[in-house]
Amino acid sequence: MSDLVDKVCRGDRRALARAMSCFDSAGRTEPALEAHLRRSTGRVPWWGFTGPPGVGKSTLIDALLVRLRRQGRRIGVVAVDPSSPRSNGALLGDRVRMMRHAVDADVFIRSLATRRCQGGVSDATLHCARLLELAGYDPVLIETVGVGQNQVEVASAADLCVVVLGPGHGDDVQLIKAGLLEIADIVVVNKCDLPESRRLLKEVRAELAGTARVQAGRPRERQEEDRLEGASDASGGIEVVGLEAKSGRGVETLLQQLLGLDRARRTAAAQARRTERRVRGEIRRRAESVVGEALERVLAGSVAAGWVARVGRGEFPLGSVIPELAASALAEVQQREEGER
Amino acid sequence: MSGIVTVHTPKRILIGKVGLDGHDRGAKFLIRSLRDAGYEVIYTGIRRTPEQIVRTAVDEDVDVVGLSLLSGAHNELLARVAELLKEEGTEDVVLLAGGTIPEKDIPHLAALGFRHVFTPGTPLSEILSALERELADRE
Repeated sequence: MSDLVDKVCRGDRRALARAMSCFDSAGRTEPALEAHLRRSTGRVPWWGFTGPPGVGKSTLIDALLVRLRRQGRRIGVVAVDPSSPRSNGALLGDRVRMMRHAVDADVFIRSLATRRCQGGVSDATLHCARLLELAGYDPVLIETVGVGQNQVEVASAADLCVVVLGPGHGDDVQLIKAGLLEIADIVVVNKCDLPESRRLLKEVRAELAGTARVQAGRPRERQEEDRLEGASDASGGIEVVGLEAKSGRGVETLLQQLLGLDRARRTAAAQARRTERRVRGEIRRRAESVVGEALERVLAGSVAAGWVARVGRGEFPLGSVIPELAASALAEVQQREEGER
Repeated sequence: MSGIVTVHTPKRILIGKVGLDGHDRGAKFLIRSLRDAGYEVIYTGIRRTPEQIVRTAVDEDVDVVGLSLLSGAHNELLARVAELLKEEGTEDVVLLAGGTIPEKDIPHLAALGFRHVFTPGTPLSEILSALERELADRE
């Protein structure tokens, strides 16, 4: 394993690609590799790109890659596409839009499938982003699956969140609904060659006018960071950029804003805060999955069948069985943990 | 790890088209079918160079590379892909080819390392079972 880590640090692409695969379907990696990755990364802010399917996230990243390469940066990209809930298979097609960078030694693109993970970003994504950082790629870009209204998991993984919008996703009432816009550091309206996009741009600007980035809708762990780092963004507001990713018009403006936010997140204090946020998010997701599975097993068992029947007959109030259910699930979790050791 | 149900990790397959050939209906039919069969498919799109294909195969750490050609340039382009893969030290990748490839060229491609060459009219089931056999002995 340490041999693999050495090779990754020396820039061996094949070792890097292999190490990215060292993450099993249950979300575990080699303890030695995991410990090393945690110790040696966190310095580089990750840029997240999210938004509905088909708005042009991959095309926008492709355009940003061109400009970042001109500045001599080495860039890592993790692009996530959905797994089929039926077959577990996936079509990973984001890199079709980025193929002109395929032979560039200073660009590394990795495609991932969600593999049963909700929210547009999986822990395998974080594993790959860490490895890219270890291998010297800076910045690291994360493209989520096309998300809808409430899948805002990317906000707890990425350090800069770009929400990409395009025409054809409803009227301005959709924008006012809670969800995507609230997690944005920057909102991009793509396809501004189309009149519908220009109208959307106006609506987004009107919606966000005067909205500070520190707001109730942001994930709780982000609010403190926003408050501390907000000083660097003079306005403290959410930037809105209209552009055409395909032709490149407006992309430079976006890049300058991203680089500005990136610089503000390079302090030791910012690094400590994001490490804490990431680890907390990972623990929460792992706990949800482990505890959720234990609950399922308890509910499928014979003890629970008795509770279900009695609640159904109105003999017990629903809430009265929860403490017992939780205690049984806890016993399950402890038993399995011991079994693993 | 006792008591843990190990979930089958999907195998990763690169499907691409090399050279000057824009006919991708076959490739697109295949990527849909492979997705439905439970594979994770990395699609590169049309008109790729052997260099692009090989770099993508390395970076994505795929188990299989499947290339479609309808242009007639298969002998040259596929030889280049096989050669580059060898240089990268990825001989363990299963190589497959498909398209309008004459019978007489198949032994040459087999010698280059192409495990199967699927010519027009091959039933999907034959491709899927060939894949299953090739990947059966891997963890």
